[in-house]
Amino acid sequence: MRKYLAIVRGTYMIGMIYRLGFLFTIAGNVIYLGVAYYLWKSIFKNSETLRGLTFDQTFLYVGLGSAIFILLKTYTDWFMNSEIRDGSIAMYLVKPVDIGTYFLATSFGSLLMNITIVSIPTILLLLFVFKVKFIIGIGLLLFPISLLIAFFISFFLDYFVGLVCFYSESVWGLSTTKDIIVTLLSGGLIPLQFFPTALQNILHWLPFQAIYHTPLTMITQPDQSVDVFLQMIFIQLVWAVLLFMATRLFYIQAIKTVRVAGG
Amino acid sequence: MDLDDIEHSFYNRQSLLFLFYFLGKIMSLIHIENLSKHFSILNRREGLGGAFRDLFSGDYRTVKAVDGISFDIDAGEIVGYIGPNGAGKSTTIKMMTGILKPSGGTIEVNGITPYANRIRQAQIMGVVFGQRTQLWWDLPVIESFKILKEIYKVDQKTFDEHMGLFNDLVDLKKLYTQQVRTLSLGQRMLCDITASFLHNPQVVFLDEPTIGLDISVKAKMRSVIKELNQVRNTTIILTTHDLGDVEALCQRIIIIDKGSVLYDGDIKKVNSLFGAYRTLKLQIDGYNDSTLQTLQDAFTQKFGPEHGIAIAATEEFWTDVTIDQARTPLADVLNFIMTTFTVSDVRIVEISMENVVRKVYDGALK
Ligand SMILES: Nc1ncnc2c1ncn2[C@@H]1O[C@H](COP(=O)(O)OP(=O)(O)OP(=O)(O)O)[C@@H](O)[C@H]1O
Ligand SMILES: [Mg+2]
Repeated sequence: MRKYLAIVRGTYMIGMIYRLGFLFTIAGNVIYLGVAYYLWKSIFKNSETLRGLTFDQTFLYVGLGSAIFILLKTYTDWFMNSEIRDGSIAMYLVKPVDIGTYFLATSFGSLLMNITIVSIPTILLLLFVFKVKFIIGIGLLLFPISLLIAFFISFFLDYFVGLVCFYSESVWGLSTTKDIIVTLLSGGLIPLQFFPTALQNILHWLPFQAIYHTPLTMITQPDQSVDVFLQMIFIQLVWAVLLFMATRLFYIQAIKTVRVAGG
Repeated sequence: MDLDDIEHSFYNRQSLLFLFYFLGKIMSLIHIENLSKHFSILNRREGLGGAFRDLFSGDYRTVKAVDGISFDIDAGEIVGYIGPNGAGKSTTIKMMTGILKPSGGTIEVNGITPYANRIRQAQIMGVVFGQRTQLWWDLPVIESFKILKEIYKVDQKTFDEHMGLFNDLVDLKKLYTQQVRTLSLGQRMLCDITASFLHNPQVVFLDEPTIGLDISVKAKMRSVIKELNQVRNTTIILTTHDLGDVEALCQRIIIIDKGSVLYDGDIKKVNSLFGAYRTLKLQIDGYNDSTLQTLQDAFTQKFGPEHGIAIAATEEFWTDVTIDQARTPLADVLNFIMTTFTVSDVRIVEISMENVVRKVYDGALK
């Protein structure tokens, strides 16, 4: 356990070393928030609520969604792809570490990093510049738990695609497709409430909504009963465990085919 | 002696043999038997059209990177594992370190099968791949070491001692705060070597650790490796294209080519092989088509028909004179050439890896 904590710490430090890059991320975020603000403002021009959401709720959903997007995107598949291709994956394989846990630790390091540098500023922006109003409710308390589980789900999806690299050595297309699907079907871009009901019903059974929609619902509609939230967290947990097992099984197969290039 | 006795002694003999066999297996740290690694690779066609057709191609070819090698390495040995480019050295090392699964044969390091127990294997070994670093590219050197300390569960005291030792040996401290990616090649290599010994491993694999280093750093590197081997009895497998490294460090070498072992034994024997031959490169004034013949005749006249000198024109204006010193001393030949011909430039070239391998191929060690 300690070894992985050291890796979390190391990744956090790398982030700090490249803190300048985050200025751009924050700047990009501000622009995105501005665009989203006017877009949704015009959509809500003639009505108080749409699909059961007020403008404030929708904007909070979308704005916070972008902050969480930066948190939960681990890029593990992209890292693994390049490291498998140029052979530097050997660097991990010769150390007494489990590859999956190693990447989980680096992703967690970036998560902490992003919370300090990107998410907190975004929340401050939402509160004080865009002046969105939070509704107070039990959901707010459960939000951090839900976010953490969402992180695991997002990581396992990325890691799963990363493991495909052991076979195809180039998963550019697959990664991109996955990113688009996750962003769209998880509510990362548009609140799921705005999707057709039939599609919503299908999405309900897929792991994607557990990544963005679930934690975002806890923030935007926190005044629901505890049971509703606990059920949501339960579904998240089920997905996390299922995906964890899937990656484990896949890893056992994939590692047998590893070809380390170079040397 | 009755029948019983004979049978008895037979059993004794048998069990003694077994005992030796098992002792041999137990005592050797690395045991490799008939190991092979075959890669099947797609024959890629040229051009864009070719790339497109490759999508549907099943045209695979097998590369036998390692093809049935066997050897045993004892604890505390430094073994030079050498051979020309593409011989299969790195592939063997990747199997010994547990990052590649062999296609066939057995491999055991300290009694365990590396690829099946990758994490356990990793704990008892250190590795340096010369072309890449095992440190964290973006972190300062000392932070990389701190992470390694945790990964290998090295206690603070051992860590301090180790870093102290390397400080004394190679003056590492001044690099501590520098990002790994900003280190020069030699500095990075020293850090990598330090890292590979950090957890006091039983065996260290060094795959071209002196690649691209200048002479003084190389010398430093050699003495560090030697020192650690002596002080800690660390087993070292060294791959290199610099025969100087091998001469300075190894008592035993294993030469492989095309995935098979060509020679496994004492370096002295090979040493005599490349020690006995020296090649003189000459630039002779007034060089023309008959120069080679003139030289040949002059040598025969001077040193007799058994002179052991081979002459060849390799590049323009240069004549290679390869001398078997066992028959004719280099100094005599040089002396004779200088007094008989007008020579504008002379070089003495070290024998190359390729030449050694070629000679071994030709049966020079049999
Ligand atoms: N992943 C791979 N896929 C296909 N072929 C490979 C792979 N890795 C190695 N080979 C082939 O196996 C052979 C041995 O390669 P290896 O890297 O072991 O050579 P080497 O002895 O280390 O050579 P060098 O001195 O150049 O480093 C080469 O012909 C190489 O092309
Ligand atoms: Mg090599």
